Amino acid sequence: MTRVLIVDDHSIFRTGLRTDLGDAVEVLGEAGDVDAAVAAIAELRPEVVLLDVHLPGGAGGGGAEVVRRSAALLGEVRFLALSVSDSAEDVVGVIRAGARGYITKATSGVEVAAAVATVAAGDAVFSPRLAGFVLDAFGTAAGAPAVAASDDELDRLSAREQEVMRLIARGYAYKEVASHLYISIKTVETHVSSVLRKLQLSSRHELTAWALERRLL
Amino acid sequence: MTAAAHPDAAAARVRPPLVRPREVVLGGVSTALGRHLGARPEVVRILFAAVTLAGGAYAVAAVLLAGNLFAEAIGAAPVLLYLWFWALVPREAGTPDAPRTRRVPVAAVLLGIAGGLALLLPFTWRLDQPVPLGLVESAAAAVLAIVWATTADARDPQRAASAPVVRSLAAGFLALLGLAVLLGAFVGSRTLVAIVAVTVVLLGAAAFVLPPLIARWNARAAERAALAREEQRSEIAAHLHDSVLQTLAIIQNRAGAGSEIARIARAQERELRDWLFAGTDPFAGDLATELRTMARELELAYAVRIEVVTVGEVSEVESAALAGAAREALVNAARHAGGDVTVYAEATPDTVEVFVRDRGAGFDPDAVPDGRLGIRESIVGRMTRAGGTAAVESGPEGTEVRIALPRGGRA
Repeated sequence: MTRVLIVDDHSIFRTGLRTDLGDAVEVLGEAGDVDAAVAAIAELRPEVVLLDVHLPGGAGGGGAEVVRRSAALLGEVRFLALSVSDSAEDVVGVIRAGARGYITKATSGVEVAAAVATVAAGDAVFSPRLAGFVLDAFGTAAGAPAVAASDDELDRLSAREQEVMRLIARGYAYKEVASHLYISIKTVETHVSSVLRKLQLSSRHELTAWALERRLL
Repeated sequence: MTAAAHPDAAAARVRPPLVRPREVVLGGVSTALGRHLGARPEVVRILFAAVTLAGGAYAVAAVLLAGNLFAEAIGAAPVLLYLWFWALVPREAGTPDAPRTRRVPVAAVLLGIAGGLALLLPFTWRLDQPVPLGLVESAAAAVLAIVWATTADARDPQRAASAPVVRSLAAGFLALLGLAVLLGAFVGSRTLVAIVAVTVVLLGAAAFVLPPLIARWNARAAERAALAREEQRSEIAAHLHDSVLQTLAIIQNRAGAGSEIARIARAQERELRDWLFAGTDPFAGDLATELRTMARELELAYAVRIEVVTVGEVSEVESAALAGAAREALVNAARHAGGDVTVYAEATPDTVEVFVRDRGAGFDPDAVPDGRLGIRESIVGRMTRAGGTAAVESGPEGTEVRIALPRGGRA
């Protein structure tokens, strides 16, 4: 069973999420601010941290700060961002800090548990909105730089990655993406992880500028 | 006939209200009086001008010839009457910030009067007066010109450019006038005149220095107020974001996607978001905004949660057909499927595509009876006529409607 730490400054939300997750995961503990979260992560070593993007305390960096301060543990601890914010700045910020996925707080307990399992397995969790952000940020819609020739190019998405992102943005689950493209779920997961890596490592300065420009919607 | 004519006659007897218009020659008094009394404003204006000129001429003549100081008060009576009307007659209703324009360059006229009165000084100097006649009046007119140029003309779009020039001229005039009279006062060794002259010089200097200071002070105050408002707004936004939005998310989460409570909470969340971040969306009025508005309306009406994701920029709603077909697809999804619905819109330089996907039980598009126009007519037919395409794919996993329209190729 996946060991999970819930980080959110709203105790009602933590309690609600805990109840919702039920027996699907093992909740090791809860934290309500940046410093408590960093300390709890170092001490409890959870497999997955359900991390609120907006958190008080620390240097004011919120969830992204928690990820950055726990960078040494990124190999064993994985972060799944959970937010009410639809802001590109927040979402892209926490992903670039090292989180492996992003879901909204309105997501049901069953779906959260499934996302936790995906992240724990080392894969990435993309909501339709995050997929939309990626497509927008990498400028695929603007028709500008053509698709990457190889999957290793950091600043562009490959044609297949674009297809996968489009389908996720359209609301397809990984399984449906797989059957739609006639590929295996494992391949879909590989593509999504690859996109996540590009999102995190790409040095495109436009990415940050783009996120800042979009602000909150 | 008489019954019909009666109200008209009654209306004719009621005088129009005594109010000053916003676009005026000088102060709007003549127009106001003319309208109220049923006379032509020009007539009233000419009467005022004639009486004022006559009074002025009488005052100058009486003072110069007979040394009669009270004549000045009599001569100024028409001006005082005008000022009295100006002060007491209300301005026409309108937005408080609407600019008021005057056709007469009041400041320049006042400066002219000041200059004219100064020309009288060589003649009045010889009269046995404690202070030469015309000196105080001339200085007062110049000061009024400065005040007018700084206050009224600075807000008048037609005079904003010339106001600083008039102000500088008036200030320079005051300084020169003061120095000249000061010189004369020492020659004639008149202490009182010297005091008045020094005051005039000081007034001139103040007129140079004060208006820019006042303007800067006002601008600073306005800036501070705007900054404070903006700070307060973001503080409120941040607080609501951290508290109310979170709570609304929790409510939706606990109540389940399709429930009544979740729907209300969702609608409220969207409304709050719109309010909080109003004005930060640079593409208002585009397809994305249109889709979000539709989503909000449908979430209020049906047990549905619609997520709208848009990619690329559409500066305007590309076509009414696209928006209409998307709306029809959304309504179908909300009405027949409910639950979670995803809308994805992507704009490339060549095409605009909209995908509406629901998780309903699905249906056979070919089995829809002819009487149901929704899909066949409102979506497929509409898009075909607009030069685009539409396709419906339905299965047990849900239904997806795909709408595409080439850009630039539309009628």
